[in-house]
Amino acid sequence: MKPKKTTKKVLKGFTKNASLDKYADQPLFKDKVIKVNQILKTVGLPKT
Amino acid sequence: MIQNRYHVEFDTDLESFEFISKGPMGPISKVVRYSETNLKGVFNLGFGDKNKETGKVDDLRITNNGDSQKVLATVAATLYTFTNNYADAIIVATGSTQARTRLCRMGITTNLEAIEKDFIFYGLTNTEWEPFRKGIKYEAFCVRKKA
Repeated sequence: MKPKKTTKKVLKGFTKNASLDKYADQPLFKDKVIKVNQILKTVGLPKT
Repeated sequence: MIQNRYHVEFDTDLESFEFISKGPMGPISKVVRYSETNLKGVFNLGFGDKNKETGKVDDLRITNNGDSQKVLATVAATLYTFTNNYADAIIVATGSTQARTRLCRMGITTNLEAIEKDFIFYGLTNTEWEPFRKGIKYEAFCVRKKA
């Protein structure tokens, strides 16, 4: 489950392009996600 | 706030971003994607070039378009927009190569003064996270928005 979404706020110079929704279905940067999952498993998150 | 950056387009969920780097190598599309990891609320920040012919995104390609600072500033700007919409999100980034990790560290360092007002940065050294310090070689970076 994703974090709670607030009202959409974007910086100046940002515009919506719904054609980019295609990336949600693509396994982009899969190796990096695996790497980060491994870090999270072994090291966890920074202590705050 | 970060200045001198490219115009950015974003998807409906504000998780994918695209912009065009302009330089001596011509226009090159760059893609930034925040993908949720196995840990709820923790996202990987992925960043790479889109191949003109195939449309595939490659995070190993070296562009050499002479605009790395502007590109990194633009990536940092996506961080603002992403966390404006996923306020509690924690973002982790790793470099696909040592050179890319170094570039990532340089990007944070260069923009640190502007972005540390709004974010807390950590670096991963061996097996431990520590508050980000300039000049240290980190394996990964973690960032969250200040409350």
